[in-house]
Amino acid sequence: MFEATQNVMLKPTETWREALLDTRVMDLFFTVHRKIREDSDMAQDSLQCLAQLASMHGPVFPDEGAQVSYLAHLVEGLLSMINGIEIEDSEAMGISNIISNLITMFPRTCLTALPSDLFTSFINCLTLLTCSFGRSAALEEVLDKDDMVYMEAYDKLLESWLTLVQDEEHFPRGCFVQPAIQVFNSYIQCHLAAPDGTRNLSVNGISSHEEEEINELQEDDRELFCDQLSSIGMLGRVAADHCIPLLTNLLEDRVTRLHGQLQRTQQHFMATSDPESMDRKVLDDLYEDIHWLILVSGYVLADDCQGETPLIPSEVMEFSIKHSTEVDINTTLQILGSPGEKASSIPGCNRTDSVIRLLSAVLRTSEVESRATRASLTCLLSPQMGKDIMWFLRRWAKTYLLVDEKLYEQISIPLITAFGADTEGAQWIVGYLLEKVINNLSVWSSEPGLANDTVELLVTLVEKRERANIVVQCEGWWSLAKQFASRSPPLHLLSSPVQRTLMKALVLGGFAHMDSDAKQQYWAEVLHPLQQRFLNLINQENFAQISQQEAVKQEIIATLEALCGIAEATQIDNVVQLFSFLMDFLSSCIGLMEVYSNTPETINLIIEVFVEVAHKQICYLGEAKCMKLYEACLTLLQVYAKNNQNRKRCDAGAEEEQYQDLLLIMELLTNLLSKEFIDFSDTDEVFRNQDQGTPTSSRPVSAADVVLYGVNIVLPLMSQDLLKFPSLCNQYYKLITFICEIFPEKIPQLPEELFKSLMFSLELGMTSMSSEVSQLCLEALSPLAEQCAKNQEKDTPLFIATRHFLKLVFDMLVLQKHNTEMTVAAGEALYTLVCLHQAEYSELVEALLSSQRDAVIYQRLADAFNKLTASSSPPTMDRKQKVAFLKSLEEFVSNVGGLLCVK
Amino acid sequence: MSDPDLDFTTGESGASATFPMQCSALRKNGYVVLKGRPCKIVEMSTSKTGKHGHAKVNMVGIDIFTNKKHEDMCPSTHNMDVPSIKRIDYQLININEGFMTLMSDSGDIREDLRVPESEIGKEIETKFEAGDEFMVTVISAMGEECAVATKVLTSK
Repeated sequence: MFEATQNVMLKPTETWREALLDTRVMDLFFTVHRKIREDSDMAQDSLQCLAQLASMHGPVFPDEGAQVSYLAHLVEGLLSMINGIEIEDSEAMGISNIISNLITMFPRTCLTALPSDLFTSFINCLTLLTCSFGRSAALEEVLDKDDMVYMEAYDKLLESWLTLVQDEEHFPRGCFVQPAIQVFNSYIQCHLAAPDGTRNLSVNGISSHEEEEINELQEDDRELFCDQLSSIGMLGRVAADHCIPLLTNLLEDRVTRLHGQLQRTQQHFMATSDPESMDRKVLDDLYEDIHWLILVSGYVLADDCQGETPLIPSEVMEFSIKHSTEVDINTTLQILGSPGEKASSIPGCNRTDSVIRLLSAVLRTSEVESRATRASLTCLLSPQMGKDIMWFLRRWAKTYLLVDEKLYEQISIPLITAFGADTEGAQWIVGYLLEKVINNLSVWSSEPGLANDTVELLVTLVEKRERANIVVQCEGWWSLAKQFASRSPPLHLLSSPVQRTLMKALVLGGFAHMDSDAKQQYWAEVLHPLQQRFLNLINQENFAQISQQEAVKQEIIATLEALCGIAEATQIDNVVQLFSFLMDFLSSCIGLMEVYSNTPETINLIIEVFVEVAHKQICYLGEAKCMKLYEACLTLLQVYAKNNQNRKRCDAGAEEEQYQDLLLIMELLTNLLSKEFIDFSDTDEVFRNQDQGTPTSSRPVSAADVVLYGVNIVLPLMSQDLLKFPSLCNQYYKLITFICEIFPEKIPQLPEELFKSLMFSLELGMTSMSSEVSQLCLEALSPLAEQCAKNQEKDTPLFIATRHFLKLVFDMLVLQKHNTEMTVAAGEALYTLVCLHQAEYSELVEALLSSQRDAVIYQRLADAFNKLTASSSPPTMDRKQKVAFLKSLEEFVSNVGGLLCVK
Repeated sequence: MSDPDLDFTTGESGASATFPMQCSALRKNGYVVLKGRPCKIVEMSTSKTGKHGHAKVNMVGIDIFTNKKHEDMCPSTHNMDVPSIKRIDYQLININEGFMTLMSDSGDIREDLRVPESEIGKEIETKFEAGDEFMVTVISAMGEECAVATKVLTSK
């Protein structure tokens, strides 16, 4: 019934107890596997059976004792199976599944209740198996195999380790330290080049080194292997005593070597001045080593948290505290503060805090990189390594910079001394990071990924007020702001997304604590030039005539891009200022729509500004402010509609640009609607004394007006061809579902054509789009049917349409294959439709029954239909009845679903 | 407050047909010169050779006059030429032996542009014969010009 790849947990009823708890049954499965394991297909099936047995839980176990002895027998069987054989490729995944199921499904108390010898053997076996699968996975990568069975099996085992280690407190103290060291070491070994490691070595010890083309769609290793790295990071923390110093040593060593290699290369350069003649193998090997060391270090030292302040992992904190008495803080700070010097050349360097030392090692890497750029060796550097450094520093800064004592039960003195609030260390490091960011933005403008990671680090530095307060004290920050505002090189060479994020950071920084003079000066240098230049330009009398000049167009585009960046910087505590600043621009932007009506790329960007403002700000806006935004959006849409009416284009990219406009307009409408779901506005709080609440009765514009007006524009332009663009299709259906859910009362009032195309869209979405879209459409049906029921008018177009939908949903649920997720959405829709059209529903059932020739099937179906509506007759729009119906429907589908849709 | 380097009041004399831009700063929907032709960028992506290689930009552009597709790839640090593009709307007054009589906003008349041999050309002829009042958008770049869009004036 289930696909073999699906891992379904076994939860048999009590009646199975006698059979399944009989040890001979399990032994039989082990024996069967032993006999057929040479046959790869059969082996997978028999391992699947064992994996099922390893997942057994529920009432089949009379008590915990029974569960423990079952587990013990399973583990014994497993160990004797694994220890006696050389594992075949086809067995790797199955064996990992058995182990993973067993660790996931059996309570910790059962695992700890195992005889200690057995538990130790199990953990040892798991350790060996993990290391061995890891090595085989590395080989698969070298051979570039399509089917990565060991990689998958390795992932599964690492995941199991994570589960175990996260519940460490249940197990004997320290029992995972040695295994963690072994697994960690083997991971590092597989990722380092020879002689320390085995990376790129095939079985016979020959290294392969091929340069393949990598496109931007390929994920970075830090995302591609994030699960593996999380597990390894966690194991590294468990064995922090071993792993953190190991990473530090390896990284310091590689950085020293990189430094030397770059120097040699420079000399070679001066001798030959032909960069192509250089062998990059040595450098690339070092870069790849450093790449992995930095990734692992990042995962060991910090968690990746979105939003909330991530905490320093407790294991790392304890590790630092444990050694703090042996540590010389001054030497530690000295090593931290001198990234240009070799760490081992500083006296007393073996008495440093290891956590700080590991950061210092990354800073040393960064310093070598910076110096190489100053020595014009940028072409020899690895942008990937640059990205890794930025990624690490960002992750580190979020967790460690200005560490807040109040968040921790116990705190390490070295960490608080080096990075705490009001410390020189924190100030120094902020300055250092800022300098690095500025250097990167000028050196690496041509590397989009690296430039992006760099501005993201900058955002991290300023998005929290406490950090921003230090940043704005740095001179570099001010010169960066001025430089960007003047649009001079090198910052204007950055790609547009990077420039937007940079603008965002500069705006965020402006909300840091400064005295009022400084603050005024800052805004005068960051935002005002933007406004001034823009106003000077558009207020020129001959603006319309010069608007097509290249310099003018570029200025306009740069301004629009900057506005998007400013909108992105919105936070609850700055929305007041940013909203009024942006609102002024929005009205000018509408003027631009006229001037640039024949210039599609500019129009596109203008709409995008509106999308961003609505996206970032509407949830904070009180009623009066919201009105203003609605009005602006409505005018935008009106101008857009006017300008595009009766316009025919056939220039390059016309179709694509129209599609992008539509997509943006739909995004805009969806953003406006989202106010109905997510609303943080509190007129009293955010806009205190600013909003004198407009009485609701005199609302000039409502969200519904804007959105329906927008839909009026969008719908006639939509075509089935356009719906082939997946992003457009999803956005479109999201929008129309929102509308049906939020303003069902507006639907019957739509103009006839619009109404028809809306209904047609719903039908199309339900029947011939992706399951996600069809689910959205189903969700739109219930509110429509409820609307009809409320009005009690028959023969309205909506009433007739819902009758048609009844048949569609009925057929879909009863006659067609559909996935189970859909059953709920379809069921809800069906129920409300049935309430509305009871007679038609009975007809549908009758028609279906009368077409059955087989008496047995007829009876089964008739019974099933009776049962389906038994709890809800007559059906009414009552929540309780609806829930009862949904429950019966689930039974109905599993009972007769197969019967009807097979044919 | 205004930047001395940016003087928007000068006329178009002296405006060059193209200007250089670092590859990384180019944008999709923007323009670039590929194989000597002004193109609209319809696809732009980066790639690199080996994990530690430097970025290269792959571009697909469509010739704005001939609609021909061109592709190019270059290191992202390189400068590319970007054509200055201008779009001007004219009112169509007449069609005379395949040439359009066009009137600009300021009332100047020009008669040097052919009705293009494209879909939009047919559109222009049909609309003209039907007596519609409409505007024609003319795009110009690198010394070439062509009508690319029409917009019927709504009677008010």
